[in-house]
Amino acid sequence: MFNSPCEILLSDIDLTDDRYQMSFEETSVAFLARSIKETGLMCPPLVRPTNNKCIIISGFNRIRAQLYNNETKIIVNQTPPDTSDYRCLLHAITALAFQRPLTHAELIRCTGRLSFFLEKEQIVQKSPAIFNTELNARFVEDLITIGALPDPALALIHLGNLTLNTAKKISVCETGMINIFLKIFSQIKASSSKQLEIIQYIMEIVARDAIDPTNFFNAKEIQALLFDENTAPGIKTTLLRTYLFERRFPTIFKTHQRVQEKISALKLGGNIKFLPPENFEGQYYGISFKAKRYDEFAATVQTLHTALSNPALKDIFHP
Amino acid sequence: MKIDTLFIDKDLPLTFEIDYLISKLKTVPQWIDDPSSVYNFITAADDPISKAKKTLYITRNKGAVIRECPGTSYYTCCDYTILHAGTFCTMDCSYCILQAYFHPPVLQYFAGLETLGHTLEKMFSKNKIFRIGTGEYTDSLIWEKVSLLPEFLVNTFARQNNCLLELKTKTVNIESLLSLDHNGKTVIAWSLNTPDVIRSEEKGTASLTARLEAARIAESNGYRLAFHFDPLVIYPDCARHYKTVIQQIFEYVRPESIVWISIGTFRFMPKLKQIIEKRFNRSTICYGEFILGLDNKMRYFKPLRIALYKEIISCIKEYAPDLMVYFCMEDQEVWEKCMGFFPKKEGELGRLLDKSAVTHCHLNSRLL
Ligand code: SF4
Repeated sequence: MFNSPCEILLSDIDLTDDRYQMSFEETSVAFLARSIKETGLMCPPLVRPTNNKCIIISGFNRIRAQLYNNETKIIVNQTPPDTSDYRCLLHAITALAFQRPLTHAELIRCTGRLSFFLEKEQIVQKSPAIFNTELNARFVEDLITIGALPDPALALIHLGNLTLNTAKKISVCETGMINIFLKIFSQIKASSSKQLEIIQYIMEIVARDAIDPTNFFNAKEIQALLFDENTAPGIKTTLLRTYLFERRFPTIFKTHQRVQEKISALKLGGNIKFLPPENFEGQYYGISFKAKRYDEFAATVQTLHTALSNPALKDIFHP
Repeated sequence: MKIDTLFIDKDLPLTFEIDYLISKLKTVPQWIDDPSSVYNFITAADDPISKAKKTLYITRNKGAVIRECPGTSYYTCCDYTILHAGTFCTMDCSYCILQAYFHPPVLQYFAGLETLGHTLEKMFSKNKIFRIGTGEYTDSLIWEKVSLLPEFLVNTFARQNNCLLELKTKTVNIESLLSLDHNGKTVIAWSLNTPDVIRSEEKGTASLTARLEAARIAESNGYRLAFHFDPLVIYPDCARHYKTVIQQIFEYVRPESIVWISIGTFRFMPKLKQIIEKRFNRSTICYGEFILGLDNKMRYFKPLRIALYKEIISCIKEYAPDLMVYFCMEDQEVWEKCMGFFPKKEGELGRLLDKSAVTHCHLNSRLL
């Protein structure tokens, strides 16, 4: 299938051509370089000879390790010169997929490239042989859809800033909106459900208030919050969600805030929990506390008794 | 909306009622053995809901003809009785619950006036006031131009004195009813909204002025009237718009002709949101300040509901202080804050409405 291993100059390899690079891992090759030095190159990389240079199909790290070792030559397997692009792609994917399970970002990249040669159904059918696992039709379709998102999307998925669910959700948006979401998710770290909530709130606010999404994104509050270098991504997520909730549900937000202030004004301390009705829809307010001893119990009741004369308490019940 | 496909159960006798429908619909019927042909036809479409609005299935009602209105324990119900004469609707309101209610949605016309007549006779022989309506699972008057049913109902109800018939609609299809001797037992009711909401959310329905003009004509033919502000939609300046609608009502009709006005803000099963977003991508009706209510439906945040209700009620009372105004599915707090009282006892709201029915429609007052 391949020509027998041969030694070529590392300078004959086009290191800038990464068309067959399916892996996203940018790990250090120091250990691999040491291993090759001590035990030799167990498995030669696979390259595709072209007119003047060779293109790497698999073994990107092994080649980098050789360079790290300041070697000038490397033993490689070469594909026959007439090997098709599709064949090379299959070699690239299977070499990786039969080594370890592919990450989501890698699956997206691989299915995206394969979709130039195969129909979705063919990818599904051949998936055990190519990916070392069975992929169902819907998943393949999602991967291809997500693969069509603009460039930063894949990198964000790889970094864990964008989940597959979120990527799928934004894939149906207009390009301007997609780019806004990608910019937002490049600045924050949030779980899938929080990402979906952020998307939902933004889409609903711009639709309801008939705002141009770009203007919404460029608003100084959002910009200040997202691009503050001194704030950690997790904190930015919390701040963004609070800001969006306030914009999306202004009356609910204000009511919660007002009641919370009144509850604080009661000075009930940490032991007493004062619970307004959920969403203020029911009519029952709840109170709960814990006591281990009689004197603790009596002191808590006394605190409650004192709260009775606090006007804030009446305000809570009769806003 | 034009019916482009007509299915009829093969085993339905070809009565005058069905013949009449076929001749008026001008669509070649397909006689079927099995309802699954209809379901498959509808579900095969890209948008089954839109398809269902153009596909009529004439069948017999295989379930209960008379049903109790499905209330919930927390929100006060008006103890209405539903006459199940058909399902779904040819108009296309974005917020229509029927889109999410039937799987798949099927526009059914339940044929069988005779059976219907027998069922109604049983209701008429009971010693109880009933408020009966056909507008729960469909619009009461969508078939008025092609069917004998509305006329049959008005005539049948005219001959008794313990049941009120309410025909609830967003159409102006009342022509065939005008000359009937209804004996005051039929209430023609219009669901009203602001022109903005009608334009953006109530596709295929009559305009506000057309509905009010129809109400005026119905009134001049002796019909009692009712109005339903349901769903009230909260949007900037909506209170002013709703007050203008109220003012218009009383420019068109006299308060004495109105049996009741109901009000209820927009509420929806959570799954309806997806349907609205998919079918009405310009609608923003679901993007208000909704919370999950105690009946597991999304409802506007209570302070917002109360604020709008207060404005609407005081406006109605300005024009008609004695008019029966009631909430559809609201709780004690809302009633007390907006109306100043709460029909607490079981069936109390129903009795208040029965009283208004008796007064306006001359039903047997001894049954109260
Ligand atoms: S008129 Fe009534 S039944 Fe018809 S679509 Fe509108 S809400 Fe639904």
